[in-house]
Amino acid sequence: MDPRTDLELVQEVRNGRRQAFTELMRRYQQRVYWVTRRIVGNHADADDVAQETFVKAYLALGDFRGDSGFFTWLYRIAVNLSLNALRKRQVVNYLQESALLSKFLPADSDPSRDVEEQQLDSILQKAIATLPEKQRAVFVLRYYEELSYEEIGRILKTSIGGLKANYFHALKKVQEYLRNEIQTGEDPDRG
Amino acid sequence: MKFRQEKIQIGAEAEHTLESEVRSLAGSGDTDPKVPDTYWMNLPIRINSRIDEATSGKAMSISWALRVALPGAVAIVSFLIGLHYYVPEVPQKGDSISEIVLSLPPASLDSILNDPSRLDPPILVEELGPDVFDVSRTQIAEYLVFSGNLPAALDGLTNQETNELLAVLSSDGR
Repeated sequence: MDPRTDLELVQEVRNGRRQAFTELMRRYQQRVYWVTRRIVGNHADADDVAQETFVKAYLALGDFRGDSGFFTWLYRIAVNLSLNALRKRQVVNYLQESALLSKFLPADSDPSRDVEEQQLDSILQKAIATLPEKQRAVFVLRYYEELSYEEIGRILKTSIGGLKANYFHALKKVQEYLRNEIQTGEDPDRG
Repeated sequence: MKFRQEKIQIGAEAEHTLESEVRSLAGSGDTDPKVPDTYWMNLPIRINSRIDEATSGKAMSISWALRVALPGAVAIVSFLIGLHYYVPEVPQKGDSISEIVLSLPPASLDSILNDPSRLDPPILVEELGPDVFDVSRTQIAEYLVFSGNLPAALDGLTNQETNELLAVLSSDGR
């Protein structure tokens, strides 16, 4: 494993050594991918957002002041891009529902929803997909990444009180969803 | 207005209890889908290619245009517009000659007006009114008579002015 710290690698990238950025990518690609995957809910969007996260990070590396950790900064980019991707998909879904886009797409085409349905292979992922976007982001960062509220606050730039409330409400909704699914046994993907 | 009957307590303990229950309910169903190792090996290559694309000549030229050329052009146009509408402050008009002369101290004015070669005794400022440069046509005619140009002196005078002039000349015994 490369012994250099994140900040040392960042400094090397700033000095023109692109290879140092590849090391940063190798170090964090999986974490960035899974955060985005859990927020957006499918591989195709997660793949795109993960790539875009690193591209944006590379281009904005000059603005990184080191006030927070490199990974916190990277998380912030990833979460923001994931939420943007969610919003775009909501717009596409809305247009499809309102039949505006169907005029321009083949009859059997429903790309975003199809992918999302296929990729939501966990009952918990389905529950997360029902959450509002901010609760979804807080839930992923706290439940899966097990970040402290202070860290999440730095990423989402939100007060700790607000984050706690968001997480608690997210947990309640997920709990209710899981209970309903288990009781009714309506989840077709469960064996 | 509907009030909540159950107050949600957002304490660390309540959160921990709820989270444990969610983990228990999710159980074995909460497994991440498999991502092949080749994906992780290829991801940095694909990202690097997107970075190359983003920093290529075309992208850089657009970036340069947005960062430097466009603001520069806006600044130049703004400067030219400003220059077009700029009206320099007009310097205040100076005092008239009569105002300057009248503001001079009597001694200074005397030194200007006193010309012994032509007038005896010399004219004093005290003898002149504020309308020192306001000379009547009769006075002009009087001056012309003294200088021997009688036709010019009488030219343009009304009958009344001619009579006034004659009265002045007779009183002086000329």
